[in-house]
Amino acid sequence: MNPPTPQVEKKLPGDTISLNQVGLRYDGGPEVLSDLSLTIAPGSFHFLTGPSGAGKTSLLSLMYLAKRPTRGRVLLFGEDTTAAKRTRLAIMRRRLGVVFQDFRLLDHMTAFDNVALPLRVAGVAPGVVQRDVTELLKWVGLENEMDKHPPALSGGQQQRVAIARAVVNRPKLILADEPTGNVDDAIALRLMTLFVELHKIGSSVIIATHNHALVERFPFPRLHLEDGVLTRMPAARN
Amino acid sequence: MFTLRSDLPLRGGGSGRFVASLVMVLVFIAAFAVTLSSYVGVLISGWERGVSGTLTVQVPAGENFDAEVAKTLDVLARHPAVAHASLVPRAQVDALLKPWIGEGAVKDLPLPALIDVEMRDSDPAAVAAVDASVKAAAPRAVIDEHRVGLARVASFARGLGGVAAAIIVLVTAALAVTIIFATRASLTECAQVIEVLHVVGAKDGYVAGQFARRALLQAVTGGVAGLALYAPALGIVAVLAARVDPEILPPAHLPLAHWLALALLPPAAGVLAMLSANITVRRTLAAKI
Repeated sequence: MNPPTPQVEKKLPGDTISLNQVGLRYDGGPEVLSDLSLTIAPGSFHFLTGPSGAGKTSLLSLMYLAKRPTRGRVLLFGEDTTAAKRTRLAIMRRRLGVVFQDFRLLDHMTAFDNVALPLRVAGVAPGVVQRDVTELLKWVGLENEMDKHPPALSGGQQQRVAIARAVVNRPKLILADEPTGNVDDAIALRLMTLFVELHKIGSSVIIATHNHALVERFPFPRLHLEDGVLTRMPAARN
Repeated sequence: MFTLRSDLPLRGGGSGRFVASLVMVLVFIAAFAVTLSSYVGVLISGWERGVSGTLTVQVPAGENFDAEVAKTLDVLARHPAVAHASLVPRAQVDALLKPWIGEGAVKDLPLPALIDVEMRDSDPAAVAAVDASVKAAAPRAVIDEHRVGLARVASFARGLGGVAAAIIVLVTAALAVTIIFATRASLTECAQVIEVLHVVGAKDGYVAGQFARRALLQAVTGGVAGLALYAPALGIVAVLAARVDPEILPPAHLPLAHWLALALLPPAAGVLAMLSANITVRRTLAAKI
């Protein structure tokens, strides 16, 4: 993949993301995340594991700025997100790529337009959009499906569109919530190789997953959540 | 960079057709209000041009009729405040009355003599002086000061104009409220799309722009349809009006400004819809995290 023109860094990149004593609760309920502190270094690759309801999705949504912590601080690329204005959060999100288990593609748009969305939203020139999106769709093997709408694609194809959309902005951090949850094992493996390639060209990656086979197969360290509390585990040995 | 490409689904969907048809009705109503207001303006200025500084003196039929008429004409002709006085010929009076009471009846009526008076000076003191002189010459003569009658007709007409203005204000408010509620409904409908737009880094302004553009298109479409509906309706009214005797309903040539105002209704509806949608989306989104 030929990367789109990299964005000029305003400040020297520090940690990709760091959480400091973070707690999160919904509508005055009990804390779903408690006293969570962690630092993700640039260029790292982590699995995020834990049983259902342990708070993996909540943690990811803090990271992609869909939620603000009820206490503690979240720093993204060295910038405090706690009190940032909505407009600033939008700009910060452009340096993230997010992949969902249910893909969250827009069914009324073609695969091409879905992948183009982050660029168009950022006001990238149409010529650049055309070039980058076409290249990226080739890279994920969907050059013949560009004009199809998501309902006409298989699950694996949809997830590849979703991954292309997540990385078209050349994000510094890729967050994936159960990206292989809705596809079979062979396709899951293929998707994982895409993430590994993205990691190799410099993105930090965090993948929340239930898939033990993947965690065993790829030697990356784990962040493990249990009842909203985080423990770190070394990479599995294979 | 303006593009018609939209990130929102249902561009021509149910809520879109609802907004467009409502705007159509509102623009149709507003167009009639604009025409009414223009027509009233033309009538008033026509009346004022025609009758300002004029009086009519009526000398009722009766004994010494011809002598009284001659004496009154003489007094008026010599009065310093009067520029010109002339007897309205009987044939013209008949013609004025014919549409109201019919040709046969007019012939035998003991009609008063009408004297048109053009005043050199039409302030109330001068009118009073003329009145006194006329009364001295012909005690039963009546001075009809057009301004009084005109003032009443004009205030009635201005009332109609006020109603027209009120209609335009109400229609504008109705349009804004329609767009606000349609946009809110649409925001709920499109919650998932908005979530995706946010995840990929869209600012609230971008999302608001999407809704605003859609509202603009719907309102302009509805507005043009409203005018398309209005044109034949105005044509029918104009044809019916042209069949009325011009003495009862004077023909009015509507000014260019009126037609321009009509042409501006669809774009005005579009801009109003765009602003309403934009503000609604920004406010709704600003209340989130």
